[in-house]
Amino acid sequence: MNLMTLQRYKNEIILLLSFLFMVGAFFYKGSANGYVEKNRLEVATQIAEISTIQKYKKQWDGKGLGSKVKLLKTVVPESKVKRFLKKTKKLDASYENLEAKEVTKLTNKLLNIPVQITKLDILESSKNKFKVELKCKW
Amino acid sequence: MNLMAKSNNRLLIHTHMDPVTLKNSVDIILTPQFYTFLREDLDLKFSYQAKQIAPSLFDDYLDRGKEYQYYVYKCESQWCFIAYNIEEIDSFLESKGIEKHRVSKIFFAQQLAEELENPIELSANSALHTIDGIVTLLPKNLMDSGAEYSRVNFNESRLKGGVTMGASLNSFVSLKETVILSSLFFLLGSIFIFEGYRIKSSVESDNEKLIELLSENSAFSNSRVRASLLEQYRPIDTLERQKRESIQSISKLLSAQSQLKKLTLKDKKIEATLSIDDDIVTQQVKEHAEAKQFTVSSSGKSLNVEKKL
Repeated sequence: MNLMTLQRYKNEIILLLSFLFMVGAFFYKGSANGYVEKNRLEVATQIAEISTIQKYKKQWDGKGLGSKVKLLKTVVPESKVKRFLKKTKKLDASYENLEAKEVTKLTNKLLNIPVQITKLDILESSKNKFKVELKCKW
Repeated sequence: MNLMAKSNNRLLIHTHMDPVTLKNSVDIILTPQFYTFLREDLDLKFSYQAKQIAPSLFDDYLDRGKEYQYYVYKCESQWCFIAYNIEEIDSFLESKGIEKHRVSKIFFAQQLAEELENPIELSANSALHTIDGIVTLLPKNLMDSGAEYSRVNFNESRLKGGVTMGASLNSFVSLKETVILSSLFFLLGSIFIFEGYRIKSSVESDNEKLIELLSENSAFSNSRVRASLLEQYRPIDTLERQKRESIQSISKLLSAQSQLKKLTLKDKKIEATLSIDDDIVTQQVKEHAEAKQFTVSSSGKSLNVEKKL
């Protein structure tokens, strides 16, 4: 293509270049949109993961649960606690002659402590008297 | 140092010229053999207006079968119009060994009207002479017998304007359309780039939040560590929530007419036995339990509810 041809089609070349510039810019915008969507999704996922892990760790990693678990011994009269064995991050407890209200109180307390309940047995041993077996870990 | 632009050599083009060999670019000056000249007294302000009406002025003078280009300039109080056919000029130049790309600018002999007040000899039979302000090609035998022919150094002549070969050839798109459309494309392109940049910048705040979180919890920066921790804690969280919800659901089934006899929670299974005296209450408890996805079975006054976690 010689200089004269370029000059002859000068207008068309200018139009073509400006059109290509616009098309290129359009694709740049499109790629920016794609990048942002992808980035947002990745960032949101990472933030959600970190927040969830933080929440889980706070709830289930067992820090400070030792003292909270002791409340399961004091929530009912001491005479009704048949066994209360607290070993490293494990509890094995047994109660007897509990009244319905005391069972409710004990159960509510247990449900509000973030421990993993491995065993819970509630059995009516006699009229309105209950026996409770409890095992949990954290 | 010469700060002035170096001008090309100028070559007078006429039909009787000898073939030439060029090594550098030249400007050419066309004799009236290659153009048609008109001078009009028009009330126009701008040359583009004059150029717009140029084709109609030449209606009676030009061959309608050919395509012409027009060069317009102001000459004193009048407008000067020159019509030329670039294809014809192009093929003539080629026949004389002048390649297109060697031609920088095209001027017209009419632009040298003042310098041609004294005739110049073009060939053995013709001369170039300004008559009544119009540069004209004359057979020598029409000249005065005592006419003296001068020599003009065209390289020293003052010539303004002129046209380029390329610009003379018609484009498919006019200059006006080119300016409008390319401006529009450029504007749209700029808007797209600005938008794209703005969109990209908008994720910065999200990234900052993530960086802040990661700096506080550097242990979680690795996605495998996060996945491993989630895998560790998620089942515990799900199972323990199910256990607690199930116990609470069973406690909601209890009332003065519906009493707990036994509850067992072990190995992802919860089971409870209730004692209910009233058949209506039994039916109500049964419906509530089923609504909470418990499997219900009854035997006499006992109602057994169980669920796998």
